[in-house]
Amino acid sequence: MAKKVTLLVGTKKGLYILRGDAGRGSWACEGPAFAPAEIHHAAYDARDGSMFAAVNQTWGGSRIEVSRDMGKTWKTTKNPAFPEGTDRTFSKTWHIEPGHSKTPNVVWAGTEPAALFKSEDRGETWSIVKSLDDQPSRAKWVPGFGGMGLHSIAIDAKDPKKMMVGISVGGVYRTEDGGTTWVQDNKVNGAPSERPDVFYCIHKLLAHPEESDVRFMRVHEEVYWRDPGQTTWQFSTTGLPSNFGFAAAMHPRDRSTAYCIPLDGMRRTAAPFGIGVYRTTDKGRPGTGSTRVCRRALRSSLCARGCTTIASIRWVSTSGRPTATCGPARPKARAGAASRSTCRTSRRSTPPRSSSQ
Amino acid sequence: MLLHGAYRGFAGGARDVTLDAATIREALEGLVRAHPTLAERLRDERGKLRPHLALFINQDDARLLGWEDAPLHDGDIVHVIPAVSGG
Repeated sequence: MAKKVTLLVGTKKGLYILRGDAGRGSWACEGPAFAPAEIHHAAYDARDGSMFAAVNQTWGGSRIEVSRDMGKTWKTTKNPAFPEGTDRTFSKTWHIEPGHSKTPNVVWAGTEPAALFKSEDRGETWSIVKSLDDQPSRAKWVPGFGGMGLHSIAIDAKDPKKMMVGISVGGVYRTEDGGTTWVQDNKVNGAPSERPDVFYCIHKLLAHPEESDVRFMRVHEEVYWRDPGQTTWQFSTTGLPSNFGFAAAMHPRDRSTAYCIPLDGMRRTAAPFGIGVYRTTDKGRPGTGSTRVCRRALRSSLCARGCTTIASIRWVSTSGRPTATCGPARPKARAGAASRSTCRTSRRSTPPRSSSQ
Repeated sequence: MLLHGAYRGFAGGARDVTLDAATIREALEGLVRAHPTLAERLRDERGKLRPHLALFINQDDARLLGWEDAPLHDGDIVHVIPAVSGG
């Protein structure tokens, strides 16, 4: 077990850093840093201990900040910049992804307008990935409700040259040569309807941190799984009260377990079924699917990436107070055996009752 | 030039800079020379001044005086202010 736990919490009013002890019963809250800027994403780089924050602000424009001392001090990096000859200018950063352990100086950033930027100096400077920007299908990309951002960067666990990116609304693009060439990767299997090449609005795309070629994707009204050798996305929403949602996470080790927080598609709330974290331990297969393991959680609050040294995922309220933790799923756990989950909340003395739909 | 609000933070905490400049444009160039960290905070990658930036010459809005071409005179104070909008 880790000796300490540090959480980076991005909010609409700055970045908070929560530092907890090994038992995670005691937390100190620092911040907000960069207030009143919106923090669309913050990332910890386990390779060298760096932290990154996507600081999106009208005053002074958006920027990416980096800390080399665990959040004590921050430094503004050179802004991502769109090349000459385009009328686009850097507006926001949606995602910062530390590169693969085999590429120690590489960091990736997804921006709005939707583009992928690469840093080869640990995030000090950024260059656009022109091969993706030059895709003819870029002309079909359109903004979603939140803008037109490249918000997901999924790097394969074993091969740093294999990546996927998710664009809202532009679909999934895949590279297997480190970003030299890209192909659209939007074919689905089992979904209620066919999808065009420029896919429906991607909300989150994840690569399993340990297992090569395992992916989990949260789309506007759908959830998909992808296993090694598969060339299509497998529709897998069994057990969810709603197919809509944003937050998604994969288990740091178990290759069959993932989490999401369903929402009502029209109202963007969890009514009427109540907000909660749903977990599948079998890739959401029909007949078993997902069960609710935590009753309390907030949207955009799931992140297991980089949590390879801890044994649980923690959800935090907007006040900065930890609200719930969920321990790791037991591999091969029987679906529906929710009472065996290790879920607990800090505001209740008894474990919440889990339920399936 | 007198920095206000967030722009002081972007300049490492600096409050003001005294310089020779005939226009707002020259003053901004001098400001960036003195505090390079302000370069990307004032302009985007096309060189356009960012929105939500207010520049006042003494008590007058520089937008009404020619914006970047607005002339400056000895003793003028140029205020660099994060503009506020919305309800």
